Amino acid sequence: MLPSGCSRRLVAELQGALDDCAERQLQLEQSLRVSRRLLRAWEPAGILAPEPPLGPETKEEDPSPACTPSPQDLKELELLTQALEKAVRVRKVISKAGERDKAPSLKSGSFATSPGMTASAPTRAPGQAGSCTSEAKPTRGIHQTTVPAKGHPERRLLSAGNRARVGVEARATRPGPGLRDQHVGPSAAPQALEAFTLKEKGRLLQLPAAFRKAASQNSRLWAQLRSAQPRDSTDAAAAAKTQFLQKMQTASGRPGPVLSAVEVEAEVGRLQEACSLLSLRMKEELSAAPTDWTQEYHCLLTLEGLQAVTGQCLHRLQELHAALAEQPVGPCPMERPSRTPPPCGGAADPFWSPQLLLYSSTQELQTLAALRLRVAMLDQQVHLEKVLMAELLPLVSSQEPPSLALCRAVHSLLCEGGERFLTILHDDPADSPPPSPRPQDPVRESPLLPGRS
Amino acid sequence: MGRRRRLAGAVAEAGAGALPKVIAALSQSLPAGPSPEIFRRAKFDRPEAAPALWQLLFRLLSPQSADGTSASLALEAQACWVKAALRSQGYPRLVLAQLPEDGSRGSRELLLALSWLLARGPLPERLLAQAHVQLGDEMPVCECEALASPGPRAPHVEAEGPVDIRCVQWLMGRLRFRWRCLITSQQEQCALLSKIHLYTRGCHSDQRLGHLSVAETEMLRDPEGGQQLLRRLERENVGLEAALEWRRGELVFWRWMDTVLGACPPEAPAAATQPTVLPRIAGRGLGQLELAARELRALQEELCEAAERRRAAWAARVGGQGRGPQWRSARQALQKAVEQELAALRRAWEQDRGPARPHGPHRLVRREDEAPGGQYLRVAEVIQALRNQEACLEAALHRLQGQCRQELARLAGALPGLIWILPPGR
Repeated sequence: MLPSGCSRRLVAELQGALDDCAERQLQLEQSLRVSRRLLRAWEPAGILAPEPPLGPETKEEDPSPACTPSPQDLKELELLTQALEKAVRVRKVISKAGERDKAPSLKSGSFATSPGMTASAPTRAPGQAGSCTSEAKPTRGIHQTTVPAKGHPERRLLSAGNRARVGVEARATRPGPGLRDQHVGPSAAPQALEAFTLKEKGRLLQLPAAFRKAASQNSRLWAQLRSAQPRDSTDAAAAAKTQFLQKMQTASGRPGPVLSAVEVEAEVGRLQEACSLLSLRMKEELSAAPTDWTQEYHCLLTLEGLQAVTGQCLHRLQELHAALAEQPVGPCPMERPSRTPPPCGGAADPFWSPQLLLYSSTQELQTLAALRLRVAMLDQQVHLEKVLMAELLPLVSSQEPPSLALCRAVHSLLCEGGERFLTILHDDPADSPPPSPRPQDPVRESPLLPGRS
Repeated sequence: MGRRRRLAGAVAEAGAGALPKVIAALSQSLPAGPSPEIFRRAKFDRPEAAPALWQLLFRLLSPQSADGTSASLALEAQACWVKAALRSQGYPRLVLAQLPEDGSRGSRELLLALSWLLARGPLPERLLAQAHVQLGDEMPVCECEALASPGPRAPHVEAEGPVDIRCVQWLMGRLRFRWRCLITSQQEQCALLSKIHLYTRGCHSDQRLGHLSVAETEMLRDPEGGQQLLRRLERENVGLEAALEWRRGELVFWRWMDTVLGACPPEAPAAATQPTVLPRIAGRGLGQLELAARELRALQEELCEAAERRRAAWAARVGGQGRGPQWRSARQALQKAVEQELAALRRAWEQDRGPARPHGPHRLVRREDEAPGGQYLRVAEVIQALRNQEACLEAALHRLQGQCRQELARLAGALPGLIWILPPGR
């Protein structure tokens, strides 16, 4: 059994690590739920969510693509509308009640034929011939179907219905599928139809105009804020601020700036990094084989220099320890985060800026994500290793005689990450002339004696 | 009206309405900002302004994640915490620590504290950036957010009394398992993200992005959620506009704060009793410090040994005497070179590194070609950087494990009559 202080600290540390993982997992699960739901079938109700601008937008279709609607198209559209009406009536029985409430909120442009359902605005056949034919196909599909409950015909009905209800930007430059080049007004009817999947119809989606406006305004404002910073005219403000801070300092009557806990933490962090850099350098020097006396001397001087620097760092740590220890600790209703995330870029840019990360394949993305998690996990492991070392090694060395079970467990935890265990065998002198126990590689040298305990 | 004219008179420039406007802008750019009237009352140390300012300070200083749990804290608890947080950041005035926590007085001091925070850094912008509405699928390109210990969490049940080492082993095993689960879930999420990006290609009005993100698609699926998102976005825009206005006119505010500071009675130097309210982070900070000290001491021992050995070897080789002027000059040159190298090494940790490393969350965009304009990163670069980091960490871990092995071997060597069979090596 471990002593209680040690137990408490170890369990707290490990439990903290477990909690972190659990939190990440929770967030991931949430994202997964959302993503899975999006990839199933859903109804893009309110794609053209209530915004009047879309009405006039669909009305002014004359400036849009050059084609004029053929009478055949208009006729087919009439048929389409009737079919959709029928579909709605059938669907009323089986669809959820909640969806219908949304229907009245969508007003359309032209051609409102019945309450709660609007026909499409005049469709514009795109300039390409190919898309005209593609349009004709689904409408033929409409003739065939009467009951939209059938799967396959419904699909085709749906594709026309989607065209009817999905507003799509006409972009002359886009060579995309012909489906896209039509303007249609919002229609409530196809809401009732299901089986919209992102896979098939994802390209038809369009963000609501109000949202687009707000988003672009957002990036514009952030850009303005960013550029408002290092302006010369704000130097007066910067000077005023510095002056104010100084006055605050002198008015407080304290001798000088005292090291705040935050600054101490930051410096301790830097010294930790110093330690790793110094030890890295030491390893380099020790592993290099000097060929002549200059190199040897260089190595010697470096080692002695590293030793001096380490001493200085230690001295600084002691100063910080003293500074921290003299501030009395009291109760607190809520803990402060002990480590505010150190900005790895140094001077942290507090402003948000639109930064993009481009990837080209799923594999790439998965590699990136896996690596990120691996780095986080390794960092946690290194930290835990240090904590375990600090707690367990003194324990093992202080025990007289050391408990073998403890030694074995500690070895596994500290040296193998808890994944593998070593075996300890009694070397009984009575059985065979015992080689001197060499803990380093007994597998090769020592005979495998029957294990006893 | 007379007060306003007095205030305006104290301000060097701008008309009478400038100060209230600037304060209103400041208020709007901060979360939970109080009305400008509160500021005015605080200048004259009116007691009724104190609670609002305590709450504002609490909101500003507490970490983002604690919003849910901390909102329910009573005013006294919030005030206590604010005192502790300000102190740990180095707030110079002692008067603050002596204020009563029931919010019955002290509004002027709180106003000074608020201004102190504002003067030290771009607080409104930072808070706005933290609360920024994420529209894209964000992925952080560095792990510094995750590596910092997380925000305050509810104190979980700690081990009471001694536990067996097997409990520790079990916890480690659970941890490993959780990481494995995490990695698998993450892989699935990436695959789904990639699909969604692929399927919605061509939908986005912004040419640089090209496809929708999960948040945007979700907004199309769920219009109510979309409305909420839109409202949050619009609120953020309002805050951003207010921040801009604040930046434009903040000089007026600082001139005014000078008068407020002037109106304060001078503090008695080195107040006799220091109320001892500090958060428990001091304890945690000490722990970190001790770990660092332990590492440095171990390093120093190693260096000491190594240096001594080399020095002895060198002395034996050279015989301890110089070989003449060219030897002396060569030695001096070497000394200088080593000094410079060590100085460069020092700079590596003492100075903040330039913003060369990519940092912060980036919006994932699936495209093969280059994004027109703007700043972007390619995943390949980030992967490279992460691999380097991974290699460093692995090396560090192996080093530590090697140290443990040596130490344990030494301890085992003291036990005769045992054979230690190590597990099959890697």
